[in-house]
Amino acid sequence: MPLRFFSFHLMPYPALPPDYDGPAWVTCPNELFDPAIGHEVYNRYLDELIYAEELGFDGVCVNEHHQNAYGIMPSPNLMGSILARQTKRVKIAIVGNALPLYDPPTRVAEEFAMIDNISGGRLIAGFVVGGGPEYYSFSMNPAHARDRFAEAHEIIMRAWTEPGPFEYVGKHYKLRYVNTWPRPFQQPHPEVWIPGAGSLETMEFVAKHHYAYMGIPYFHISVFDRTFRMFREACEREGYEYDPLQAGWLEPIYVAETDEQARTEYESHFWYFVKRLLPGINISPPGYTSLRSIENILKGAGTFAINLTSWDEVVEGQYAIVGSPETVAEKLIESLGRLGTGNLLGLFQLGTLPGHLTRKSLELFANEVMPKLRKEFPEGARVLRGQSAVA
Amino acid sequence: MGSVSEEKVSTQVGKVQVFRGGVAGGPPVVYLHSAQGESAGLLLLERLADWASVTAPVFPGFGESEGIEHIDDVEDAVFHLLDVFDQLGLASAAVVGLSLGGWLAAEIATRYPERVSKLVLVNPAGLYIAGHPIKEIFGRNLDDLAVEMFADQDHPVAQLMHHMSTFATSTISGEIPFDMLRPLLQAQAATAKLGWDPYLHNPKLARRLYRVSAPTLIVHGAQDGLIPRAHAEAYASGIAGARLVDVEGAAHMLPLEKPDELDRLVREFVEG
Repeated sequence: MPLRFFSFHLMPYPALPPDYDGPAWVTCPNELFDPAIGHEVYNRYLDELIYAEELGFDGVCVNEHHQNAYGIMPSPNLMGSILARQTKRVKIAIVGNALPLYDPPTRVAEEFAMIDNISGGRLIAGFVVGGGPEYYSFSMNPAHARDRFAEAHEIIMRAWTEPGPFEYVGKHYKLRYVNTWPRPFQQPHPEVWIPGAGSLETMEFVAKHHYAYMGIPYFHISVFDRTFRMFREACEREGYEYDPLQAGWLEPIYVAETDEQARTEYESHFWYFVKRLLPGINISPPGYTSLRSIENILKGAGTFAINLTSWDEVVEGQYAIVGSPETVAEKLIESLGRLGTGNLLGLFQLGTLPGHLTRKSLELFANEVMPKLRKEFPEGARVLRGQSAVA
Repeated sequence: MGSVSEEKVSTQVGKVQVFRGGVAGGPPVVYLHSAQGESAGLLLLERLADWASVTAPVFPGFGESEGIEHIDDVEDAVFHLLDVFDQLGLASAAVVGLSLGGWLAAEIATRYPERVSKLVLVNPAGLYIAGHPIKEIFGRNLDDLAVEMFADQDHPVAQLMHHMSTFATSTISGEIPFDMLRPLLQAQAATAKLGWDPYLHNPKLARRLYRVSAPTLIVHGAQDGLIPRAHAEAYASGIAGARLVDVEGAAHMLPLEKPDELDRLVREFVEG
């Protein structure tokens, strides 16, 4: 099985005051944001992603969320463009842009193509519907989320692959002249990733277009087993056997010298993330998800990390993989083999985890865990190409 | 006591449920339900059926009514209701609407005044009043919503809402089958189509209210914690000759809490 390593950064706000116990989303008061801390952490977080390239990762990942403390990255494209200049080799995965929030969505085609040109073809284009909270933060009607996503996706892929100008007339977007400059550096288009939380519609969409499906974390590992099995079945229903590079597993990882030391250094930062930054992420506005998907998502909802109460549960359910290089390698080899995911998206910085521990964990992972995994999964890093969306 | 029975009516968007009954030849009265979808077994309908010819259509997405996929906004909703009126031969009727239903009643009365003989708006949504926002109804804890919607927390529906606030958790644990959650989710999704953005109002409605030609009664539940009285006042001042009545001991779900009093108000207003 091919295996590629990515370092994923959420860029969390690490300084919610101890006496604030409200949600980290939508209504989390923005007076809690301290610009001095913002200046420090934005630059530190970027440095951590750039460091991943030095250490030999295959790629780095950023994502988009609005009006929240969980991830202060409303524009991952700004981060992607900085990374395009400050890195030379790694893939830059922007997973993704919340397409229904861009009007017109040709904006995404333009900005992604810019980053792809600047980086010389290193962009991975991620498209998302946007999280439930985003539909509150944008006052965007969730009932139209899936429709708008489908139309925006079609517009972007056609903008990249069809000669312009052309006219697009859909239900939500009516564009008389689609003629995107620049065109993407990668032809016919960059690799496409779609993150999902277990919604069937999303899996079927990804399978249909031969894109890659990224499993969103914070559930018991058994939920991932089901999710990736369902995705493989969705590919089979499309008449093909899925490629491991079509699947990505996003997982919090922390490596230290010993198991005990790892837990000691990591645990409080993990709980800040779970108990302070997750509250509010799991709201599902009406009409945002189909009933059959809600039914499916609810099957795993009881295991959502927000309900965790003990470290034993964290370890048992692999909500984070934490330990010595040996322990981490062993667990990852076992789970990667079982899940069949060819992209490992490690979430190394999490919650309040400080810079020096993040860098140490990255180093130990790159120097001691990665070689073990590359030996176990020797096929090496290939590049996945989705089929053209409009084929 | 009068009675109503369920029918299915074919419309452009699909088959919809309608509760009908009452006195043949009595004044036609249409009841438009709120985002709660109160229809089946609604005591008010039986009271109205004592003296009127009652029609209570169930909006697509609620109950067993089909066709919400063909309705995107208030514009579509108004055309759908006109279609229902036509299918049922209602040239003109007294229209009573609660909350979302009151908003839709006002939309019909401004656009097609000839179809509305009398207009009764009960805790109506539909307007934006600066400084007096309608409370959030989406994604709220049902426990909190029940407090805003009922003056009497012992009302059976308030009690049900308190029980249902744990529904999602109980569904996750498997104690309650998903099918019991389904109607609630569908009703919220249908409401979101009409009222997510702009939030439960039509920015153009206020300046169209002058078009209402029907005699109009605005009924405000004195304990309504969801829609402030300022909304009732704005309707009353925007519609020529409209009268505003406050009902004590009732909150947002006034037709459930005070069915006899509302019936009396509607009857006096329609027959008067």
